[in-house]
Amino acid sequence: MTGHANHKGPTGWCRTLMGGALALSTLTAGSTAMAADPVTLKMWALVNENYPELIQTATEEFRKANPDVNVELESIPNEAYKTAIQVALVGSEPPDIFFNWSGEDAARLARSGLALDITDLGAEEGNYRNVLSEAWQQAFAVNGRQYGIPVDAVSKYFYYNTRFFDEHELKVPATFDQLLGLCGKVREIDPEMVPLPLGNSERWKLNHLITVINERVLGLDAVRADYALETADDEIFTNPDYEKAWGKVLAMQAADCFQDAPNATSPEVSRSLFSAEISPMIFCGTWCMSIFDKEGFTDYALFRFPPMTDGASDGSTNMVIPQGFQISAKSEHPAEAVKFASFLVTADMARLYAELRGAIPSNPEKVGEMDATEQFKWVAKDVGSLSESFSVLDVMLEAGVSEAYLDMGVEVLNGSKTPAEAMGVIRTAAVEGKKKLAAGQ
Amino acid sequence: MGSRFRWVQVLLYGFVSLWSLFVLLPTAWMVIGAFKTKREFFLDPLGMPASFDFDAFERAWGTGVGGFLLNSMFVTALSVLVIVVVSAMAAYVLARTDNRWMRLVYLVIVAGFAVPVQAVIIPLFQMVSGAGMLNSLFAIVLPYAAYGIPFTIILFYAFFLDFPRELEEAALLDGCRPVKTFFHIVLPLMGPAVASAAIFQAVFIWNEFLLALLMLTKPAVKTLTVGILQLGGEFTSDWAAIMAGLSIAVLPILTVFILAQKYFVRSLAGLGK
Amino acid sequence: MSDTSLAKPVTGPDASTWILLTPALGLVILFIVIPALLAIAGSFFTIGIGSTNWQFAGLANYTRALNDPIFWLALRNNLIMVVGSIVLQVGFGTVLAAILDRGLPRGSTLFRTIIFAPMVMSTIAVALIWLVIMDPNVGALNTLVKALGMQPPTQGWLGDPDIALWVILVIAMWQYTGFMMVLILAGLQGIPRELYEAAALDGARGLKAFRHITLPGIRNVLIVAVLITTIGGFKVFDLIFATTRGGPANATQVLGTYIYQQAFNLGNMGYANAISVVLLLIAVLLGWLQLQVSRRS
Repeated sequence: MTGHANHKGPTGWCRTLMGGALALSTLTAGSTAMAADPVTLKMWALVNENYPELIQTATEEFRKANPDVNVELESIPNEAYKTAIQVALVGSEPPDIFFNWSGEDAARLARSGLALDITDLGAEEGNYRNVLSEAWQQAFAVNGRQYGIPVDAVSKYFYYNTRFFDEHELKVPATFDQLLGLCGKVREIDPEMVPLPLGNSERWKLNHLITVINERVLGLDAVRADYALETADDEIFTNPDYEKAWGKVLAMQAADCFQDAPNATSPEVSRSLFSAEISPMIFCGTWCMSIFDKEGFTDYALFRFPPMTDGASDGSTNMVIPQGFQISAKSEHPAEAVKFASFLVTADMARLYAELRGAIPSNPEKVGEMDATEQFKWVAKDVGSLSESFSVLDVMLEAGVSEAYLDMGVEVLNGSKTPAEAMGVIRTAAVEGKKKLAAGQ
Repeated sequence: MGSRFRWVQVLLYGFVSLWSLFVLLPTAWMVIGAFKTKREFFLDPLGMPASFDFDAFERAWGTGVGGFLLNSMFVTALSVLVIVVVSAMAAYVLARTDNRWMRLVYLVIVAGFAVPVQAVIIPLFQMVSGAGMLNSLFAIVLPYAAYGIPFTIILFYAFFLDFPRELEEAALLDGCRPVKTFFHIVLPLMGPAVASAAIFQAVFIWNEFLLALLMLTKPAVKTLTVGILQLGGEFTSDWAAIMAGLSIAVLPILTVFILAQKYFVRSLAGLGK
Repeated sequence: MSDTSLAKPVTGPDASTWILLTPALGLVILFIVIPALLAIAGSFFTIGIGSTNWQFAGLANYTRALNDPIFWLALRNNLIMVVGSIVLQVGFGTVLAAILDRGLPRGSTLFRTIIFAPMVMSTIAVALIWLVIMDPNVGALNTLVKALGMQPPTQGWLGDPDIALWVILVIAMWQYTGFMMVLILAGLQGIPRELYEAAALDGARGLKAFRHITLPGIRNVLIVAVLITTIGGFKVFDLIFATTRGGPANATQVLGTYIYQQAFNLGNMGYANAISVVLLLIAVLLGWLQLQVSRRS
């Protein structure tokens, strides 16, 4: 039968259309079948210092052994990232490889079938499961299966201006009360000077702070079951020490540590205040090192969040968030995607990664050889000395509870909710979240 | 009486001048901000820049504002074209035919006028995504056209009710089919109504944000609204670059508006009629 | 040959009728009607972010909305946007239109152009400009307010849940008052001048003429203006998305942003559909009203 036969009859046009669609679908099926065709991997990551350069170098190196694979990086601003990635994954054009933090959000994408199970692909020759330690692999494990390639970990420290501290003979605080005292001393030196700027317009800055304060006040054992939503409905988040933890934030505010309008100040503004030496301290992630270095400000040192005399923690722990890449379940090139992401954690790439990003790489093999700043070396040593580590609330909690904790930070800081009221809202969200988890959503 | 009259007039001029100033100052501040340094922003938010160089414009342009501008132009032009042609065709039939089916069709289309895209964004996104329409400048034209059609049909419907039938009848006597009559006789006479509808739709499509945010995620296809939001996220504390990017985005449409303001005003004021 | 027989070939519902009608009807059905029906259907299901697994939930999404304080807060905020926008935009729009119509011997075109201009700017651009202007650390507004001897809000213009929504109302006023002004101005210019001259002979001018001639003359235009503003107040999304994303702490959350957050941030597609249906019903009702009024005039 020739093609012309299709055009006869009243529904001829319709059949032609279907024939065309069919031809089109066999065409695409053909192209995926041929492995030698050039493959373009779409990769999404956060807007980060040095990141495009890093991925470009990695791609060039990777292409030496895999000339048919190309990588296209798209950088998404932090604030929009979580939503943007979710919209993209639900849609028909998701990225093949995407950045994510280890935690509930990554696990939720795994449970809902949006992130690919890479347990077997990851174990193939040369891939990440043969390189990284079991502990690191746990970062993206859900029910014993692997859903992501951990690349590095970030932590959170107080940064201080060493020149300012020397000049005014200020000492690194050994307790939380000394930290409050430090805020007072800075205000004595210059009433207009903000001791510890807080840019909470995107809500996560205070969320990081309260994560650490919760640990310092309650200790890790007291919070574990609540965070995992495993406590009974009438007991969840009822420990009065959660309110006490919010009280510590208010104490910092009362000690004049923060500037006016923290909820309307962006994280970048607060960072700029520190790097422009307008403020002498800031609570910032380890990723801030590369930002300050790039801006040409290097007169800083770091200290860990000090313990509290009335708290359950001895201060030997810190927040450490593993992060890495997940693969979209809809990716047409999962093998290449896992291979490329695995390439990022090979010894040489991990070293470059650590150098350019100031992050703690998941593959520590060549960290000793790297060209690191004094501050980075100090951080690497400090993270290595921690007795235990914990994740941050907004990536570890169930989505609804995380949202409530983020919002309550704003309200407590604003004075529109008391710590007790805030915990009431969080409890309600936690009970709701338990229901959702039980329903398998 | 004369002096009282003058007093009132001073008062009235004062009021509109004050409002004009309220409108102009933020716009002027945007342009001036593009020339300020970060330090100048911190130390003297109200002050003028020490020097006028175009570095910030270069930084903003480097993120692809030019491409966003072209994408917006393309999407707007194509959508408006589709809306005008398709709506005119449908409105013509609806105005010239009176039976139960046509009344039902008109009702469906009028109901579509009231549906805001925000209220159906979830299924709409799933549909366009399922159909493989993401990241395509051609594909986004279809929903844009769909949401512009109902109001345009309502406008054109009113126009056709007033249109002299004698012209069409003469054409039909000459043996023209209705389709030919429409394209050769009616469409060429629709000038003012088309201009008015086109400007109205162009303003809305040029500024549309939600669909563009969800459907256009690749940098190469982003339109201006989504592009400048990304600019805000990328430059975070580089306010000069943000202001430069905004200036590049806003000044062209403002220029077009000032040149053709009579038509803009007439078109948008038509909504009240 | 009578008129009716001549018109007949045009009215006959033949193939050409459908050729002209199908593109418009097809697009409207495909991109408006079907999504609206799907939103209604989806509101009775629990749908996860993967959106492959639909579990029938009956009215659960609606009862959840009834018990969700943030849903009510969002609805209340929409109402505040509506009432506030009517007072500010239609109110000032009317005053400005009245002045431009008869109050100024010259320069009214210039003023009209300036005041209308923000309407053609994208809301995202407007939001970003104001965001920098109101930044507590580098914004011009704080400096200006301090220079006038007043104290800017300590939590920032958009950082204080008590005032953020009012600040957004002012930005909306900045952008849309010119539009209302032009709309009403068109209505005013439709009033025959002779009416004013006749009234002046009877000794009615100024405010008295405004009340007895102007207001009745633009009654329908005013109703349309109020309806457009009302619909706009319920549909508001871009401005809030680009300034506060519904924050601080949901203080500026509206139905549009809450739908977006529930659907694309928290992955509750079914619940987001239920909120969508509420918005849909409000919008369809208002849209229908608007057309009724327009048709009467």
